[in-house]
Amino acid sequence: MEEKDIGIYENVIEYISLELSNALNKIPDKYKANVEEIRLRSSFPLNIYCMNKDFFVTREGLLTKDKDKGMIVGKKDIMKTFQLISNYSVYAFEEEIKNGFITLKGGHRVGISGKVLYGTGGIENIKNISSLNIRIAREKIGVSNKLIKYIIDYPSSIHNTLIISPPQCGKTTILRDLIRNLSNGLSYLNNKGFKVGVIDERSEIAGMYNGVPQHDIGPRTDVLDGCNKRDGTMMLLRAMSPEIIAMDEIGSIDDVEAIHEILKAGVKIIATVHGSSVEDLISRRSLSILVNERIFKRYIFLDNSLGVGTVKKIIDGETFNPISLEKGVI
Amino acid sequence: MIALKLIGGSLIIFSSTMLGFYYGNRYSKRMENLILLENCIKILETEIVYGASPLPEALFNVYRKGNKKVSYIFEKIRVHLLTDKEADVFNSFSTIAQEIKEKLNFKTEDIELLLSLGRTLGSSDRKDQEKNFKIILNQLQVLQKEAKKERDKNERMYKNLGILMGIAILIILL
Repeated sequence: MEEKDIGIYENVIEYISLELSNALNKIPDKYKANVEEIRLRSSFPLNIYCMNKDFFVTREGLLTKDKDKGMIVGKKDIMKTFQLISNYSVYAFEEEIKNGFITLKGGHRVGISGKVLYGTGGIENIKNISSLNIRIAREKIGVSNKLIKYIIDYPSSIHNTLIISPPQCGKTTILRDLIRNLSNGLSYLNNKGFKVGVIDERSEIAGMYNGVPQHDIGPRTDVLDGCNKRDGTMMLLRAMSPEIIAMDEIGSIDDVEAIHEILKAGVKIIATVHGSSVEDLISRRSLSILVNERIFKRYIFLDNSLGVGTVKKIIDGETFNPISLEKGVI
Repeated sequence: MIALKLIGGSLIIFSSTMLGFYYGNRYSKRMENLILLENCIKILETEIVYGASPLPEALFNVYRKGNKKVSYIFEKIRVHLLTDKEADVFNSFSTIAQEIKEKLNFKTEDIELLLSLGRTLGSSDRKDQEKNFKIILNQLQVLQKEAKKERDKNERMYKNLGILMGIAILIILL
């Protein structure tokens, strides 16, 4: 497993300018397998996030907490990295740049920030790029295996489920694995598997690259890549006859409307949202509608108290009582 | 003896004529290659502005669809771009400059134009790329006109000069 993770890391640093990737290549294997983010900021030291801690990387590939020892990222490094990431073709990633990120082969995402230029139709371009954040996507196949029975509505359906967690706690990873499990079908349910429609607005769930999903999302899954949730819902309902629709990071009024559409069609929903408690959700106007209408029957709360993707609790959406968990559900 | 003289004489005329043709042909070759280059750049424009294909793929398609006499340079640029991690697009374009000067009879200004394409290629959005292509293609038209003028003026002159030189040398020797 670790070797595979190191391989993923080494593939990703191929996209970084030579000088920086040489340093990144020298860090110890233990860290290589666990790096979550590589951050490049113009004229600041090279920064990585690893096992919930952040380190600066020195020219020799040592990890340090001392920002003065870190290797400074130059404007040239950022430009070069950006060229490698965009495959020397800024024009081919116009839409992605407008959204602020580019998806790499393997489903890794690179966030971009810099000077934003507005045109008549909203954001037109980002120039003078100052920071790049490379998020390494690691699919964790099987993380939802123990979780899945809590969302099954016996005998042949599922509960509408909302996964809630602060950033970087494994929401998307769990969602992706749930999709994979539901799409594959569950042997103990004697079920042949669900038709799942995924609205992958941020290209994170499936990590589409050239039309091929870079993560295992199961054989009965259709992905609308880069589509907003409202348009995506209508398209899926009209044309793809899904049994379950999965979406990432709901929150706006439009999303609520989309969810109402889904319910009208008798299709089930799995979604994720930022937050850490039910009160958090109620404090947001659009989400409080969903909570009050008792649309979701299961709330799954994640945190990273026992590592990324720890299931803190599962709450029943009707009664708001916690459902007792078996030990070892992570 | 006379036979030997005849053979020698005809050899001299033949070789100087060939020399004249060689010099004259350089002008029509340049003209021909500039037209082929224009076609290649037009294919590249379509690939980028309408197809939005990533640069390596676009360059490969130019190589595939264009006339191989000229389009091979785009394949060379692509290979260089993908193998040399330090290089940017402009570097990759510069690596072929010397070669095409010799092989394709391009003049310095033709090469400059091609390099200026390399300087902007891929670095901006589609609208901007389209404008750049327009400028480059316009300049290429100007160069073609100039090449045509030069060809009309010089090609015949060099060819005639070759034959006449041969005859002149023969007369002196006789």
